[in-house]
Amino acid sequence: MNINENILVNENDLFTFIDHDSIESEKIIAPRYSYWRSVFRVFFKKKINWVLIGLFVFILVFSFIFPLICPYNAVENVLQATSFNLSPSAAQKYFNDGTILKWMFGTGPQGNSIFYGIWASARTSLLLAIICAAINMVVGIIIGAVWGYSKGLDQVMMVIYNIIANVPYILVITVLVYVIGSGFGSFIFALTITGWLGIAYFFRTQVLIIRDREYSLASRCLGTPTGRIVSKNILPFLTSVIVTLLATELPSYISMEVYLSYIGVGLSANIASLGRMIQEAQTTFLIYPWEFWPPVAIASIITIILYVLGQNLADATDPRTHM
Amino acid sequence: MKKYLLKRIGFSIFSLIVVVIAVMLLVYSLIDRNVIFQMDDVWNKRSNNSRTYYEYTMYQKYGYLTFVDYTTYLSGKYSEKYGPKYTEQAEFATAKVAIQYEKSYLENPDVQEFISKYDGKDGYKIVYLTPMKYSNGKTKPGGDGYLLATREKSVFSRLWDYAKGLITVETKNDVQDERLTERYTRWEKDPYSGLFAHVGSGTTHKYLLYFNGRFPFIHQNRIHLHLGVSFTKYRGQEITDVITQPTGEMKYVRTQYPAYIGTDRYDETAIDFHEVTYNYGEPTEAQKELFTDNYTNISYQRKGLSMIENSFVIGVIATILAYMIGLPLGVLNARKKDKLPDKIGMWYIIFIMAVPSLAYIFMFAAIGTRLFGLPYAFANAKVPILAYILPIISMALPSIGGLMKWMRRYMIDQMNSDYVKFARAEGLSESEIFSKHISRNAVIPIIHGIPGSILGCLVGAIITERVYAVPGVGNLLTAAINGHDNAIIVACTVFYTTLSIISLILGDVLMAKWDPRISFESKAGR
Repeated sequence: MNINENILVNENDLFTFIDHDSIESEKIIAPRYSYWRSVFRVFFKKKINWVLIGLFVFILVFSFIFPLICPYNAVENVLQATSFNLSPSAAQKYFNDGTILKWMFGTGPQGNSIFYGIWASARTSLLLAIICAAINMVVGIIIGAVWGYSKGLDQVMMVIYNIIANVPYILVITVLVYVIGSGFGSFIFALTITGWLGIAYFFRTQVLIIRDREYSLASRCLGTPTGRIVSKNILPFLTSVIVTLLATELPSYISMEVYLSYIGVGLSANIASLGRMIQEAQTTFLIYPWEFWPPVAIASIITIILYVLGQNLADATDPRTHM
Repeated sequence: MKKYLLKRIGFSIFSLIVVVIAVMLLVYSLIDRNVIFQMDDVWNKRSNNSRTYYEYTMYQKYGYLTFVDYTTYLSGKYSEKYGPKYTEQAEFATAKVAIQYEKSYLENPDVQEFISKYDGKDGYKIVYLTPMKYSNGKTKPGGDGYLLATREKSVFSRLWDYAKGLITVETKNDVQDERLTERYTRWEKDPYSGLFAHVGSGTTHKYLLYFNGRFPFIHQNRIHLHLGVSFTKYRGQEITDVITQPTGEMKYVRTQYPAYIGTDRYDETAIDFHEVTYNYGEPTEAQKELFTDNYTNISYQRKGLSMIENSFVIGVIATILAYMIGLPLGVLNARKKDKLPDKIGMWYIIFIMAVPSLAYIFMFAAIGTRLFGLPYAFANAKVPILAYILPIISMALPSIGGLMKWMRRYMIDQMNSDYVKFARAEGLSESEIFSKHISRNAVIPIIHGIPGSILGCLVGAIITERVYAVPGVGNLLTAAINGHDNAIIVACTVFYTTLSIISLILGDVLMAKWDPRISFESKAGR
């Protein structure tokens, strides 16, 4: 009995009583985690992304700066019929003016420099893709988010969507380009007038899925305002969806321009574009391959880079890969 | 299910109407109507009032407006009064020439009557093209005066006219001709095929339903679809005829004219006796000798396929190939996830998704012609069947990429499901899990797209058909847009939209048939 009492006394000496701290108890210890830092850590861990970004920056800088230094003139040799359709080696011999770079891909159907042409065209295509993607993505995401969140709007929008989605996209674009002309501005208008709708619909479905998830419901019960639910509960979840969309949207406009130029409703003739260069060279692509393959190659390189980078970024934005 | 489908079809018809109205508004109101004269030689040759009058006749033909010409009005009025020799009447001549005098034309009673009859009525508007004269009083070239009552067509009357004429059914009372002795539609023995055929007298076509050896073996001429009449591209031809009539060289066969059936006389001819139509004109001696009735308007059998058949044959073979190759490859990629086959597959998908379709179609064309010696342009092929190979490959390879991508995605999604883990825990073999559990669930969204991809073949493929110069329907819309052929644009819209609606509905039905968990009742009731 004594022994026991001794032990008890000793224990009381060893322990000190700590009062319940309500502020401390609310704290949860977790490793330091920053979402965007983790995204870029995962993204840059892949060596191929460094290579692709380097290549993309090179193309971007080159296509925006190079035409400023060496402006492309499609009709500079239009009066010299002997300069038309020259192969790279023949063009070097014909001009022999020391500008090796200019004639390294030969001349086009009007004696134009293919090398200068592809950079001026790449600038048009990139600009077009960036502007169209920006407009369609912003409009599509905002409308899609509201559409998914509001039940009243959903019914109206579904009717509109069902009607417009029934018209083939290509028909809308061709008729619009036919109606409002084929300048750069009106071309963007034609591509964006109904282009956002598909994105909005896709986004609506995604929002719908998350809107009624349990955690979202719980936070609504706790009285979180709608704006905060959208920005804190729903949008972070959709970051990887947005980036995936962007990865398919950006290259699709470059392909779309090429395609529309090919079927004869592309940008007007005075704007250098990859689609126009391909369209001009396509009938003779077996005879004058140097006129056809460089624009095709640059269009393909740009679209592949954008697609792969976008896909990898989308993978990196998925928090499950941050482990 | 039925109620849901009916509701859905009703809504589809509504949206089709809205779409057609929208396209009609775009095409007829927003586009400068003068573009139709850009390449018109007649317009270039004419001048002054004659050119303006020609513009009105063309606007009427293109469906922008309707107009009544004063001279036509006079002809109608006086021919009723005096019979066929009305042109010799002095009264007619004075009335006709009155509009050539700008100062006094309003005093003529016929002109007054014409103006009071039309001005402001039913939306008509009087247009007077004042005669153009030199100072010496002689009329300038093409400067004759015209008096017209014009009426702009509203989009609704245009739509109504279009819808009214969309489908016609032939009956035995169609032919208005006194020479016709009997009217009937009946089943008869068909002398050309040896089978039975539905034959009409008094109908426009003689053979309303018949069988022969040509695909699709059963043919009908009873119900006709009128999508519109082409203006510039196929002058005056019905678009449904343009896309369904066989093309190519005439095909001569040993057959008998109707008058020699039962005799031993045979002739080498390309005439398709199943497609004869009623001839209102006086029969020629040759026609009297060779035919037994007035069905003597003939068309010819041709060796090639029709435009829509060309597109459909290429498209369907490509689609079947794509499903047969793409789906198993997608399954393989999912099973070997992150291993070599999957990596190769991913790069192929990236290539197909990212590179402009034009680029790889040309690449396939270059490889096919250079390495394998396959024919490039469709018309130049020495062995016609070989010309189909490259277009089919060019259409199948991209679809394989797309199908592979989705099949792989759906398979991987299913692979992480609980029921798969459970099946594995039960001790089922991997191949059993894949074939019996995962793939059955993964193909559900794929099945939804099957009707779309098959019906989509009827629309044709724009780029493939252009690159290989295939005489198909893919270029119809773009050619119409470049040729300002409003009727074809509207027809294409109706055709494409209808096909896309049908394929969506069929896709849903097929999906519900495959997967009993999908029910439209709950969807409709929600």
